[in-house]
Amino acid sequence: MNPVSRGIRNAFRNSIRTFSIVVILGLSVGLALSMLVARQAVQEKIDSVKTSIGNTVSIAPAGVQGFQGGGEPLTNDQLSKVETVSHVTKITKTLSDRLTSDTSNLTSAIDAGSLGNRQAGNSGVGFQAPPQSGNRQSGGDSNQQITRTFTPPVIVTGINNLSNASAYGGDTVTYTSGKALDPTKDEDVAVVGKALAEKNNLSVGSTFTAYSKTIKVVGVYDTGNTFSNAGLIMSLSALQRLSSQPNDVTSATATVDSIDNIDSAVTAIKSTLGDKADVTNSQESAKSTIAPLENVKSISLFSLLGALVAGSVIILLTMMMIVRERRREIGVMKAIGSSNLKTMFQFMSEAVTLTLLGLVVGLVIGIAAANPITKVLVNNSTSSSSQAAPVRGPGGGGGVRGFGRNGLTSIQNVKASVGLDILGYGIGSAFIIAIVGSALPALFISKIRPAEVMRAE
Amino acid sequence: MLQVTDLTKIFKSGDTKVAAVDGISFSVAGGQFASIIGKSGSGKSTLLSLLGALDKPTSGHITVGEKDITKLHDHKLIQYRCEKIGFVFQSYNLVPNLTAIENVMLPMEFAGLSKKQRLQRAKQLLSQVGLDDNKQKRKPGRLSGGEQQRVAIARALGNKPKLILADEPTGNLDSQTGKMIFGLLHDLAKSENTTIVVVTHDLAIAGKTDRTFQLIDGKLAPAGARV
Repeated sequence: MNPVSRGIRNAFRNSIRTFSIVVILGLSVGLALSMLVARQAVQEKIDSVKTSIGNTVSIAPAGVQGFQGGGEPLTNDQLSKVETVSHVTKITKTLSDRLTSDTSNLTSAIDAGSLGNRQAGNSGVGFQAPPQSGNRQSGGDSNQQITRTFTPPVIVTGINNLSNASAYGGDTVTYTSGKALDPTKDEDVAVVGKALAEKNNLSVGSTFTAYSKTIKVVGVYDTGNTFSNAGLIMSLSALQRLSSQPNDVTSATATVDSIDNIDSAVTAIKSTLGDKADVTNSQESAKSTIAPLENVKSISLFSLLGALVAGSVIILLTMMMIVRERRREIGVMKAIGSSNLKTMFQFMSEAVTLTLLGLVVGLVIGIAAANPITKVLVNNSTSSSSQAAPVRGPGGGGGVRGFGRNGLTSIQNVKASVGLDILGYGIGSAFIIAIVGSALPALFISKIRPAEVMRAE
Repeated sequence: MLQVTDLTKIFKSGDTKVAAVDGISFSVAGGQFASIIGKSGSGKSTLLSLLGALDKPTSGHITVGEKDITKLHDHKLIQYRCEKIGFVFQSYNLVPNLTAIENVMLPMEFAGLSKKQRLQRAKQLLSQVGLDDNKQKRKPGRLSGGEQQRVAIARALGNKPKLILADEPTGNLDSQTGKMIFGLLHDLAKSENTTIVVVTHDLAIAGKTDRTFQLIDGKLAPAGARV
């Protein structure tokens, strides 16, 4: 029997004590593992968020106020320069236009309502000719007052990239029939929103007229909101051609490789476009979205360290108690020829055995608890801060789209799992706990003099 | 075989110095059975610790064979204790978690013997001290005091030491068992040509040894002094 096997056997010398230590240690290791898993899962989520949310820069013509006008449109040439800016990975360009009864045979799927009529009265956009008779005349004086009627135009969007749901103006998009068009091709085809399709009896294969051309419907989409479901989408080049705006772009979104590089990208884009464009980003919104996850990460780190320290202290106190209890035995072993090193090795083996047993229990606890603990931490943290998160709906005229409830749900959807790497960390931390926990007792072992045993006889 | 020259061990307690062993000189020939007697606190156990290299003397020399063990470094002392010395304690001091045979094998493991050699020698020694196969597999808690002391003697003989130091080996045993254990030690000393130094209160036992040294207040009493 060598020191290792003696150490292993000694770990089971007092079964009640061993059981208690293993359970306590198991809880400590389980908590440490759960925190490690939570930290890892949250870090992965943060990385994912940083590369997918809040890493966009909105570029709009300077002074533009949606369809209210103002400013000169951006051009393809200007945006080509933006594409070369460092950290910019993609430019999504859009051209928005409005189809009225003059330019299309489509009927809007949205009723103007009192708000629309009032706005139209102020702007003079989209009016139809006043009726010649009927009850829309008031009074009998010579200054006949015309009651205007207003039909909202159909919004057509030309875009060069349809990979994100945000391109459709929603958080999610599904095709009820047909498929997405190829946004890089200059063809007289369109995908139409579900509401617009229903209003105009459109389906895949049917056609409508716009800009005096026949446009074929290749897909019908549903974003879940009425505004975007009432629009239609074409490729950017097609709309530029049809609307006689061959080089114009009404808004663009630059995607940056990481949220960490957004500041430098914004500065570079502003420098490239000068005063011709308003450049804004959603970094602050994204940061406020990530902040709860960062909190969870900090909490899990401190809890992880706390659990490791607790585990080490448990082993330290246990081994101190064991060494004190077996002082005479240690003295005798030294007297009959055991070196300090061999004696320490035996006790360290005992500590490692106890810790590994604790690790097994801890792994079971960790596997069972990691996901629920992570979810509780993330949910509590994100819901407490979600009230401050900005939510913007559609109608921003191609501006920045914020993070709606879907974004929050996505952030809360953190999946934690115990992988082989976690197992490796667990075994590693168990050895660290065992070594740290038995270091001081080992020092005590080296100080025990066998002569004391003889004197105590 | 064992030569002690002007050996002194002084313990300090604050400003007070106590000479537990005070300038002792004596020698024991190889294969002899010697006893050290004296009242409690006379320095018997301290002397035994010094002889067994468990403690370092303040001054003086202990020569075992040709080697002065007071000049050895710590790691050499461990080796010396392992290979040259066998200890038998009053309270047996067996490792409670190991069986009798594992206890006997322990010093042999420290000396680097193979498992096969250890097992063979341990069985032989335990048979020699009268412990049957069944009892060899028992842990100390399931053996009587006499049986435990037999195991302790077998353990002390494991590495075929030149010197066995026994501190009150019969102190915890009834007189009958004590006599039997003493007889066993005596026989082994003769058969293995091992020098044995026993510390004892029992004058009857001391009377049966080859040489007896009496300690009075850390000093060796002159030969023929009244015990």
